[in-house]
Order: sequence, then C-alpha cells, then structure tokens
Amino acid sequence: MTALSAVVAQIDDSFFTDRSEADCIRDNGAFCFEWVIDNFSDRYIGPTLEHLVLVGVSVALGFLIAFGMALLSHRRRWLIPPFIGATGILYTIPSVAFFFLLLGATGRGKDTAIIALTAYTLQIIYRNINAGLANVPAGSKDAGRGMGMTDRQLLWKVELPLALPEIIAGIRIATVSTVAIATLAVFAGGGGLGSEIISGSNITFKTGIVVAGGLAILMAIIFDIMLLLVQRRLSRWQRADRAERSGGGGSRGEFFRRKPAWTAQ
Amino acid sequence: MSDETSSNGAEALPVSYRETTKRYAGSDAPAVDSLSLEVEAGEICVLVGPSGCGKTTAMRMVNRMVEITDGDILVGDKSVRDRTPFELRREIGYVIQQIGLFPHRTIGENIGTVPSMLGWDKGRTSERVDELVNLIGLDPELRDRYPAQLSGGQQQRVGVARALAANPGVMLMDEPFGAVDPINRERLQNEFLRLQAEVKKTILFVTHDIDEAIKMGDRIAVLQEGGKLAQYATPAELLMAPANSFVEDFVGADRALKRLALMRVSDVNLWEAPLAYVGQATGEVRAKLEGAEVPHALLVDSDRKPLGWLSEKDLQNDVVPQRPDSSPDPILDSSDIMRDALSDLLQAESHYAPVVDGSGKISGVLSIEIVQEFLNSSDALEDEHSAAERPLAT
Repeated sequence: MTALSAVVAQIDDSFFTDRSEADCIRDNGAFCFEWVIDNFSDRYIGPTLEHLVLVGVSVALGFLIAFGMALLSHRRRWLIPPFIGATGILYTIPSVAFFFLLLGATGRGKDTAIIALTAYTLQIIYRNINAGLANVPAGSKDAGRGMGMTDRQLLWKVELPLALPEIIAGIRIATVSTVAIATLAVFAGGGGLGSEIISGSNITFKTGIVVAGGLAILMAIIFDIMLLLVQRRLSRWQRADRAERSGGGGSRGEFFRRKPAWTAQ
Repeated sequence: MSDETSSNGAEALPVSYRETTKRYAGSDAPAVDSLSLEVEAGEICVLVGPSGCGKTTAMRMVNRMVEITDGDILVGDKSVRDRTPFELRREIGYVIQQIGLFPHRTIGENIGTVPSMLGWDKGRTSERVDELVNLIGLDPELRDRYPAQLSGGQQQRVGVARALAANPGVMLMDEPFGAVDPINRERLQNEFLRLQAEVKKTILFVTHDIDEAIKMGDRIAVLQEGGKLAQYATPAELLMAPANSFVEDFVGADRALKRLALMRVSDVNLWEAPLAYVGQATGEVRAKLEGAEVPHALLVDSDRKPLGWLSEKDLQNDVVPQRPDSSPDPILDSSDIMRDALSDLLQAESHYAPVVDGSGKISGVLSIEIVQEFLNSSDALEDEHSAAERPLAT
C-alpha cells in the first residue's frame, strides 16, 4: 500500500497539501478524516458553489422553458405530443455524449454545461406541469368559467394553484437528478463537484471521491427537503383534506400522507 | 329586515327564450330546437326531461357557456348575444351538480369569488360572505375551512351561497342536488325553497327527476328528445292535463297522487259537519242531518273538539250520550298534505274524517268524494301555490 501511495504522490504532487502526513493518506482507505480537515476549505468550497450555480441556473431555466411550453400547449392540446416527444428525445441523450456534442457549438465552459443540464430538466418538469393541469377537477373549472372568470383568471387563480403540488413535485425530481448529472459537467469544462471526483490522482484516492460524492448527495437531500417544505406551505388545503378524511383514497400528493395507517376512519 | 332588500333583494329579471336553437357541430339534429319560453321574474322554472333532451344545453345558453346557434335569449330586456360572456356570467348565479368549489380556497374565499372579480372592496365582500354564511345556516367557524373539510351537504350549500354572492338577478342550477343522498337531498330542497321565499330570484333549474321538478318548480318545462318543448305548465296543470303521451309517461302513472302532494287539506273546500253536543236533544241533531252533506253527526265537546261519530243507535235516545258509538279517528289537521290525508282515510277504512285547525277545533270534514272532485276539477289550478309556499314533505 505504501508503495502505491508513493506512486500516486509522484503523479500529482500538489494533491497532498496535507502537512500532517497522516498515515491514512498513504493507506488510501475508505476515508481519511485528517486529510479532509486539512483540505476541505481549499478544495471543496469552490466546486460546491459552482455546483450550486449549475443546478440552480439549469433548473430555473428549465422551469421557465417548460412552464412556457405548458402554457402554450394548455389551450392548444395538439402541441402536447410534439412537446413530450421533443423533450423526451433530449432526455434520452447520454449526458457525456451531450456535453461533447455541444462542445463544438458552444465551447468549453459553464454555458455548455448549463445548456445540457437545462435540456435534461425539461421532460420531467413539462410532464408534471401538464399532469397537474390535467388533474384540476372539471367541476372547479366549469364553475370558474360559469362565474365569469376569463381564461387567464381561470389559469392563474384556479388551475395553476391546484396544479402547484404536482409542479413542485416535478421540480424536486428534476433538481435531485440535476445535482447528480451536474457532476459530469466537468467534461464540458463546467466545473462543479465533478472536478474533484475525476481530477488528477483523485481517481485513485478514495477519500476525495467520497467527499465530493457525499457533498453532491447532501446537496440533493437539502434541495429536496427545501422544496418539500415549499410544496407543503403552498398546498395547505391538501393536508386539510387528508386531516379530515383519513384513508380517503385521493391520488394527489400521496407522498406526504402523515396520518398513521391505524387511525380509525 | 330593511337591509334584506339591499343584500338579497336585487331585482330578479325575467328570462325569455325566443326560438332558441342549438346545433352542435357535426350533428344534424339540433340539441335544442326552437325553444320559446317565458320565465317570469322571481319564479323557479324547472327544465326537466330524459337525458339527451337538451335541458342542460338550454340552461347553459343563458350565460353563454353554450353559444346560441339561432334565435335569442333575453335576460331582463337585454339579449345575451349582445353581452360580453364574462360580464354576463358575473351577473348570473351558477350552481352545478359537481358543486365545483375551489379546493385551494377557503369557504369564505369561495363565496367571495364573484364579488372580488367585480372589484368589491375587501370589507364589503367580507360582510357579504358573513351574511351568506348566515343565510345558508352554516357555522361561521367553517368560513376559514377548506371545502374538503365540509360534508357534501355543506359543500352544496356553499355552492348556492357562492352563486348568490353578487346578487344575481337570475340563477342557473344544473342538477344541484343530484349528487346528494336522498335524505340530504330532501333537506337541501326544503332549505332551498325556504331560501327562495326570502331571496326570490329567477331560477332556471335543470333536473331529470320529475318528482324534484314538481316539488321545486313554479313552472315546469318538459323537454323531449331532440330538444323539443313538450309542455310548459305549472305542476298541477302538468299533472292534470299532460299535453301528450310523452309527458303523460314522463310524469308517471301516479300523477293524481303527485298532485295531492302539492296541496294541503286547507286548500280544498271541506264539507260542513252536522255537530252535536253532549246532552243536546237528539231531535235537533236529526233535524241537522236532513240535507247535510255528511250523513253522520259529529259529537264535539264544548271547545268544538271532535269526540266521535254518532251512530243511529246513539240517536235513538232522547239526548245525545256522552260516549259515542265510534271514535272520530282519523282526525286530520288542516295543514296536513292532501296525499297523507287521503292515505289516512283509506287506511282507517273511513269515508269521512274530521279536520281540525291548529287549536284542535273542528273546521270541517274531508271525504273521499272531496278528494275525487278535487282531482277532477280545474278550480284547483287557480289557487295553486308557488313552489316556496307549498307543503314540504319531510
């Protein structure tokens, strides 16, 4: 083991900023705590922030584009199949290939990474906005129109608020998967946590991979919880529903059914 | 109740169908075929018929949820075709079977929907919401709940309150009680009739249930397949003189009984009973019996409360005995529904029944002949009650 570490140290001298020369670096075990303490602020804060920007910008852009598409296809139903088809094709392109394909057009850098990541969010978000709008009770729409709401009022005051739980659910899924895919942005020169996973001798130094990967997982979990809280806040009416009728088989937002199963109906 | 006029008493408007026709694209047969109908202000007009008769289409053309193909509809004296649909709809109450409350809005916000669209300020809207919550008899605490927290019956009441919020002159109600269980439906119907007695809106009410039509309607428009008007009449007219075999079949074989359900005992001319008092000379009683409509004397106490019928044997003594031979049962109340009164008569195998007023005093005698005569005379049509004043079966 010692011999291997020595080889690694030769390949990338700058990698070991460790001044304590802890044994665990040379051992290259599953996790070298001393190394992390020594290297965290130098090596990980920058990439983490880059990663946050990649995810935040891509999901925000993806949401804006998908939302625009959903509004377009809402009153023009015939647009839905082509939109689903187009976003579906984007979604199936292998991510590394996507990054390399774009390099020719947009060059290396964040922009390229963001374009690809945004394209991946479209399918999930667009589908969820559509599903949310489609699940708005017909009676509520008919009543709204019958009371004199314009199409725009109906959309913003009735349909979108009722679709919101599903829309945010879509954003959650898109965000979590973007956090993961963004680790590959490094192939497009987009930076992010991926650079710490593949850079230099990190490939053979387990602790570095564990920390970078762990940060990505942590980021995904934090995003997920934050969005869950937003979703709950914006759909209190749904929980009022469940609190009153435990066991009622509403399909909406089943995820967060908090009522224990043994509660009597 | 001086503010009642300002809040609930906005002027009801008449609705007039002028050869209104609806033809859907891709279909040769019209859904509604040249319908002409005058609905008077403040009346409940029920559109009834089998499914596919165009009754809902006919109703939805009033607020242009369905566009008119030919002809016209006037609300007040204005053609709906000249109005912007959104503005028109805000002036017309709209209640549907699915209720269609907004699940994400509280009860109060639901009721305030149209007022806020009309730009009422918050204070006025809120006051109006309180007033309506009160009017429909909802616990004020429920104002801040969400629709899913209410029972079906409560939701339907909220649906009606929401439709009334901006004081529409006309209300459209499409099978409003269709999705409610029979017991609650009965209760909601009764409540709604009481409410209508107060607010007096012009109401177009769609149902496929003839019993509901008879109960709720001041006038009933029976539509048959192809959107043709088969008959437009008051419930009693409809039951007494169906215009054709379609209407006759539709109102059902028990139409005589249905008519009786619309009337109270006090609505018919009762026979006068030959009265007898304890200790009275039987000679006087016999004299009264001569030429009387009822061939038996009714023994009453000093408060004119019936004690029983006197038999021939009872009258053989000099004076009227204390205990008559037969009981006075069944004793009917003048506020009883005629159908129930007839049922009592038939059940007691009796030909005559004393009718008492609210204080138990005798006011006349109901006989099977009176019921028969009532069913065959047209007099009954003249003093027919409006739906809101009819007896409410419970």
